[in-house]
Amino acid sequence: MKLLNLTNRYYIVIALFLLLISVSFLTYRVIYLMDKEISDHMRYEKMQIEKQIALQPGIQDQPFVIGDRIQIDPIPKFTTFKVILRDTTVLLSEEGKILKVPYRILSYEQLISNKSYRITLWRRLTENRDLGRGLVSTIILVAVDIIACFYFLNRWFSSKVWRPFYRAINVLKKFDLQKGGRVLFQRSNVEEFNTLNAELTKLTDKVTRDYRNLREFTENMSHETQTPLAIIRSKLELLLQSENLKEEQIGHIRSTLDSVNRLSKMNKSLILLTRIENEQYATEDLVPLGQLLRNQLESLDVFIESKELHVQTHIDDDISVRMNQHLADILLTNLLSNAIKYSTRGGELNIMLTTQRLVISNSGPPMTIPGEQIFERFKKGDSPDSVGLGLAIVKKIGGHCNLQLHYEYTNGMHCFFVEFRPERVVVRTV
Amino acid sequence: MKVLLVEDEKELLQSMVTFLKESGMVCEQATDLSSALEKIDLYDYDCIVLDIGLPDGNGLTLIEEMQKKEHKTGIVIVSARNSLDDRLTGLNIGADDYITKPFYMPELTARIKSVVRRRTFEGKREITYHELRVLPDEMVMYVNDKMISLTKKEHELLMYLLSNPNKVLTKESIAEHLWGDHADMADSFDFIYSHIKNLRKKITDNGGKDYLKSVYGVGYKFSGE
Repeated sequence: MKLLNLTNRYYIVIALFLLLISVSFLTYRVIYLMDKEISDHMRYEKMQIEKQIALQPGIQDQPFVIGDRIQIDPIPKFTTFKVILRDTTVLLSEEGKILKVPYRILSYEQLISNKSYRITLWRRLTENRDLGRGLVSTIILVAVDIIACFYFLNRWFSSKVWRPFYRAINVLKKFDLQKGGRVLFQRSNVEEFNTLNAELTKLTDKVTRDYRNLREFTENMSHETQTPLAIIRSKLELLLQSENLKEEQIGHIRSTLDSVNRLSKMNKSLILLTRIENEQYATEDLVPLGQLLRNQLESLDVFIESKELHVQTHIDDDISVRMNQHLADILLTNLLSNAIKYSTRGGELNIMLTTQRLVISNSGPPMTIPGEQIFERFKKGDSPDSVGLGLAIVKKIGGHCNLQLHYEYTNGMHCFFVEFRPERVVVRTV
Repeated sequence: MKVLLVEDEKELLQSMVTFLKESGMVCEQATDLSSALEKIDLYDYDCIVLDIGLPDGNGLTLIEEMQKKEHKTGIVIVSARNSLDDRLTGLNIGADDYITKPFYMPELTARIKSVVRRRTFEGKREITYHELRVLPDEMVMYVNDKMISLTKKEHELLMYLLSNPNKVLTKESIAEHLWGDHADMADSFDFIYSHIKNLRKKITDNGGKDYLKSVYGVGYKFSGE
């Protein structure tokens, strides 16, 4: 949910709740006041009648009208001083229709010239009801209008207030740790946003710096290790030249040499990885991948033959891809030697190069690690000899040269797909 | 053959001196750029093995200095940085070869010998070992003057062995010499074995002696003793 929607949602809920309460209260008050007003008025009329009767004795026998209707009926005996005030419904025939009309009655007994009378005042309530209803609906209408107005105002206002926030989000989205660089936020008038931006700048600066340090560390570490490794290897080789070595001693030298080799290979791969990350292979050429593939296959020929692999190639020789020449070389070497290394003896090796993609597939048993991890560093299946960086390098090159890489295992074939971006492919036309 | 080794890592320098001396080279050493510059001023060398990362400057300066005078010295750069730029710059300004740390000693010997062979045009370029004779650029060998054709890999292997006679050569170093980046391919050791077998057969079938000795578990040795 978006921040704006969230605030608006709360706003609407609260506004409707308040509206409900205030409208009910208002309605109640209006009805109550009008009711009171009518009753008061009727009591006033009662006083008027009493005054009239006192001023003009005998008036009780003549019809006179105050309010809607006044009824003065003689009664046999005076019974109470109580004044009855109640509502009732009267059936009236108006315009040929029979209507139920609400009336209020004020009725009391009075002694006039020693005779008892019941005086009843009638008051039609229809107009008041209509007025009340009109009032309430007007109030509701106005309130709804105000809420709607505020809703849109709030929306507009919030989006204006939060604009620096959304801008900051966009800036952060574009931030790429690999490429580094500083994030630049626009200044806003809101102090909190400026604080946020300042903190974000500090944070990204620190992350960038740490990342660079880590990269430098890896690179330096790998470089600095090469010399001691060279020394160890040279000493072992010298040792190996000595006369009268026992078989056991040779065995020790051998396994030490093996470990040195592994370390050295790992180092070289790590150096290559950091170099790619450090943009040291930024130059781009048009690389004729078909030609490169054929060259590589030729130099790997002995290995392919020894594994009795059936090689099938569909190579479109007119295709060139815009990328770094050296990286293209490494990419193909790693993919091809990987395919040869892990294919079954007498298996298949298929290479397909089209304008869209390069697919290198080899037959082999399924891997022991999940397919999506195959490109991760130091992930290797059952091969203790491998360093586990070959495909990590492939992945890194892919990222660097805008190639989409993915892996699939179908019908007993390990398939590596290298997808080209159309704008990077040049097809030679004859 | 007189070689100047310029390397600031004393232990590595020591190993190089020992190994190359055993290979019959005369070695002089320098651990920094200034003493190296002094030495090239005073003496002539057949080859200089140069580490470019020196404490008092870049080794490439020495190459530039060498280019100022007429010389026949071969230069092999040694670097801890396997960087394409370094390699290209080095080779462009006049180095003959480039090798990255950590390297195999026999590989260094082979490189030095090959560079020196290329540099000395007047000298005989062929390599002889008892009844064997090999030319660097032709895929043939002569056993008692009988010409026998070799495959490319057999030729490379023989050249490598002949550059390091009487030395134990590990399978890894041979694999790297023959296949470079592909050396860690599966089966590469089997190939060495089959190449060695074929080579041995070609030599002995044509009346040569069996110089190819296998050193159990480690590799091979080309030795007439």
